Amino acid sequence: MTVNEIVDELRGARPRASDALRLQVMTIATRPAPRTRTFGERLRGRRRLALLVPAGAAVAMAAAVVIGVTRSGSTGPVVAAAPESTARSGATGEALVAPPTAADAATAQKAAPGPLTGRLQRYSAALSLEVEDNDALSDATQQALRIARDLGGYVVSVHYATGDQGSASLTLRVPTANAADAVTRLSGLGTILAQNVQIDDLQESLDTLDRREQQVRARIAALGAAIDRADDAAERARLEEQRAQARAELRALRASQAATAAEARNATVQLDLQTKQDSGGAVPSSGSRLDRALDKALAVLAWEGIVLLAVAIAFAPLALAAAAVLATRRTRRRHEEDRLLATP
Amino acid sequence: MTLEQPLAVRPPRTLAEAAEAHLDDVLGYLLYLTRDRETAEDLASSTFEKALRLWNRFDPGRGSARTWLLGIARTTALDWFRAEARRRKREEAAAPPERVEEAFAEGLSPALEAGLATLSAGEREVLALRVVLELDGDATARVLGISPTAVSTRLSRALKRLEERVNQG
Repeated sequence: MTVNEIVDELRGARPRASDALRLQVMTIATRPAPRTRTFGERLRGRRRLALLVPAGAAVAMAAAVVIGVTRSGSTGPVVAAAPESTARSGATGEALVAPPTAADAATAQKAAPGPLTGRLQRYSAALSLEVEDNDALSDATQQALRIARDLGGYVVSVHYATGDQGSASLTLRVPTANAADAVTRLSGLGTILAQNVQIDDLQESLDTLDRREQQVRARIAALGAAIDRADDAAERARLEEQRAQARAELRALRASQAATAAEARNATVQLDLQTKQDSGGAVPSSGSRLDRALDKALAVLAWEGIVLLAVAIAFAPLALAAAAVLATRRTRRRHEEDRLLATP
Repeated sequence: MTLEQPLAVRPPRTLAEAAEAHLDDVLGYLLYLTRDRETAEDLASSTFEKALRLWNRFDPGRGSARTWLLGIARTTALDWFRAEARRRKREEAAAPPERVEEAFAEGLSPALEAGLATLSAGEREVLALRVVLELDGDATARVLGISPTAVSTRLSRALKRLEERVNQG
């Protein structure tokens, strides 16, 4: 008997259920099915576990978004420590140092004094500001240059550096008449850490120079008249030498007057900018609220990932043990079935 | 206008439909497995009792109703085998068991009947599924919980042994 003949015979003798069994089974099969399980019941077991993964991910994502959005509005605490005042008190000048913890820019801006009109004054101001990060540092530096130009001034020097903590140092000259305006506008570029305004009165010095000029001019005129009257050649030569000295003194006086006037014409503003200590200068970040919210959300997500990884590492041995137990049970069950079905 | 698909194509809507279509398959499988018609009929009833309880879980997307019912039948039969093994162990302690050999399928030649009796239950079940019920390799693998390759190997071995026993006579 060949295999094909065996197969044909087996297929030809396919068992049929008796009428009695058919009736019995149909009676069972037509009975009302057990109550359909509710959705909640169906979620038990594996399905509920399977839903836990996306649900957990959704909760983690929502938490990150909420934290990111709610915390993106604040710019963090203002640094309270301020550098030592660098105010110099001149004999005739006055120095005004802003409160080192001045967090309110508006308050600080109002505190910036201006030069008195009608008198020549040397105006110098030093501002130390803190900005959020390197991007904000770049923006603030460019705005400072623009402010100087807008107010008719110019830039004496700029030092700009980025890194873990970015910083910029600018020396600006602006017309003294616009100095207070410059300080006010520059103060708005960041959080004020320190502000130092010094005004030295130059009017008295200039008046002294003017009086001295008048005296020298009078002396030159007197010397001229004396020279005209002199008959002796030796006397004439001595007077002419004195007049030459007086004229030299007059030129020096005029130069001093011009220098004093120039000193009073433009104010010097020293602006120091620095990024926050913990801003992570190397990490680019824009100042918009959306970007900050995204940054915060990503940071929260990263922390959630770290926590999840830590939990996974902690429970990995347990999970491995459970998997090993399940695999062993399955293998034993398979062997038991094979043994049961090995007998004729 | 909707055309009613034949049951062979569309999945059954009720267990009664499935029972009507696949009762012979379930019985045939159990008969080959147990070699006892009375036991096979009892197990077939138990299979449909279980199927009624589990009907809500039947997913046509994961396999046909026939495969699903045969899987339940196999679980039911394995439970019976376990109980039978325990019972036999107890009885062997008291007296040696007596096995009454009787034909379990009508229309088989005595030689083939005798050959089938020498095969193990595992060999008979793969013959029942692949040869008698003509399940394909994948469906058989799903019922037995093994790979399609293992099904082919097991079938080949079973047919070879059966051929040898039948021809030995």
